[in-house]
Amino acid sequence: MSGTMDLARLEMLRVLRNKRYMIFTIGLPAVLYLAFGRSQTTAYGVEFKAFYMIAMASIGAFSGALTGNAQRISQERKDGWIRQLRITPLPAFGYVTAKIIASLVTTVPSIVIVLVLGRFYGDVQLAPWKWIAIGVVIWLGALAFAALAIAIGYRFMPDTAQPIALFVYLGMSLLGGLWFPLTGALGKFAEGLPTYQITRIGTDIIGQGSFPIDRVAIILAWLAGFVALAALSVRSTAEKI
Amino acid sequence: MMTVGNPGPSGAPVVSFEEVSKVYGQVRAVDGLSLDLRHGETVAFLGPNGAGKSTSLDMLLALRKPTSGRIRVFGSDPYTSVKSGRIGAMLQSGGLMPEVTVREMVELVTTMHPRPLPVDQTLKRAGIADIANRRVDRLSGGQTQRARFALAIVGESDLIVLDEPTTAMDVESRQMFWANMHAEVAEGRTLLFATHYLEEADQAADRILVINKGRLLADGTPAEIKERAGAKRISFRLDPVDEAFLLGLPALVNLEIRRDQIHIQSSDSDRTLYALLDAGYRPREIEVSSLGLEQAFLAITAEDDKNGSADQRDKETVR
Repeated sequence: MSGTMDLARLEMLRVLRNKRYMIFTIGLPAVLYLAFGRSQTTAYGVEFKAFYMIAMASIGAFSGALTGNAQRISQERKDGWIRQLRITPLPAFGYVTAKIIASLVTTVPSIVIVLVLGRFYGDVQLAPWKWIAIGVVIWLGALAFAALAIAIGYRFMPDTAQPIALFVYLGMSLLGGLWFPLTGALGKFAEGLPTYQITRIGTDIIGQGSFPIDRVAIILAWLAGFVALAALSVRSTAEKI
Repeated sequence: MMTVGNPGPSGAPVVSFEEVSKVYGQVRAVDGLSLDLRHGETVAFLGPNGAGKSTSLDMLLALRKPTSGRIRVFGSDPYTSVKSGRIGAMLQSGGLMPEVTVREMVELVTTMHPRPLPVDQTLKRAGIADIANRRVDRLSGGQTQRARFALAIVGESDLIVLDEPTTAMDVESRQMFWANMHAEVAEGRTLLFATHYLEEADQAADRILVINKGRLLADGTPAEIKERAGAKRISFRLDPVDEAFLLGLPALVNLEIRRDQIHIQSSDSDRTLYALLDAGYRPREIEVSSLGLEQAFLAITAEDDKNGSADQRDKETVR
């Protein structure tokens, strides 16, 4: 296990050194919140600034977990780094585990920064448990996208993995209502997506202090699906790495 | 097949392949390969491209599973041996971690090893101490190769497996590499390396395995391999030439006639030459020289390719 943790630590260091992470995962959501966070409308029954805080925290977390990871994993597979690790004493799932741990840790700042902006720039006032619950739900979503990144990274070459990850990310975030709240038919369709459900759990917590369990079930179903897809991808490519 | 004459190595085999085959669709990459490596040996794995060297090493390192047959390493399966750190390996296809420094990467792999060696020592042995703080993705070809090698020696592994270790190295670093490698083996390790530099196999290995089309063709010391291939070359001038007679000479492996200039490849130059003299011929300008391992290797694989295509023809006529 020590090898896995050391690998995770080095992975985090890499992410933090990466400019793209700083711009898209940390910078972009914060800037967008500063630009539009004070809009005086409502969404999903709460003030826009509260909705937008949840949406932007999710945007940063999911882009970090999905688009950054998928392309890296694919590249490292192509370059033979995964192969190299397989001939070291690192445990079988050490590489994948380290990637997930690194994702979960490097996602925290992107969530926290937007929540802090929401509190002090957007003046969103919540009980402590609500802040924690919102953070944890978004974090859980990032876990699902980290698993999806593994599936994409193991299945596709870097030049296809990158657009595929970006396409999925844009689709999930747009149709899930992260860029702007959805109503009508689009809103109905969005209910099947984890991104939408994560946002709605957030707004439900803020608005009425509770949320329907169905929302959690949908998120967990996606999480389980992505994890299974990741495990399948890792296993089926074992002889090709 | 030749037997191995090294008296030194003894005890249970470090590595054993028992009738190992690997089939990809229609292709038999490895075809019933059996071999044993003994403790303390330095063994070269020789073969042309596509001979099955890489697939064999991949199976030895648990990266691929044999279609049939069994591989044992230190009495257990390859996977267990790799994960317990008993094998240190470097593959041509192995990559390095991007966006970190050489030292960070070597430190990382060192912490994974159950019997780690000091990082500074590893860096020095691999000849990369001076570039330890450089980023891995900014190394030259030779530096990358040395960094890869460092990962194979981060701990006290009992078996070291190297796939074309000196590719992309200049002559000087190649010599330094082998000097370090001999030090490693002197500490009681077993070394298996694949190479296409025959000179390197000749100088560094005390045993050579020649593999072609997934099968083991020869197994012996460099001297034995050369001998087996008909490794003496006899040249002389003779006038007139009786080709039929020359072809009937004992121990003859290959005959080449250019006007009065004759070149013979022989597995026993003394016998060949005596027979020629006994028949009353008086050749002029006699020269007897040893073939290099390269010619020996080419002779062995060419013979195998010839037999292979002959088999193919036989089968076709039967049909």
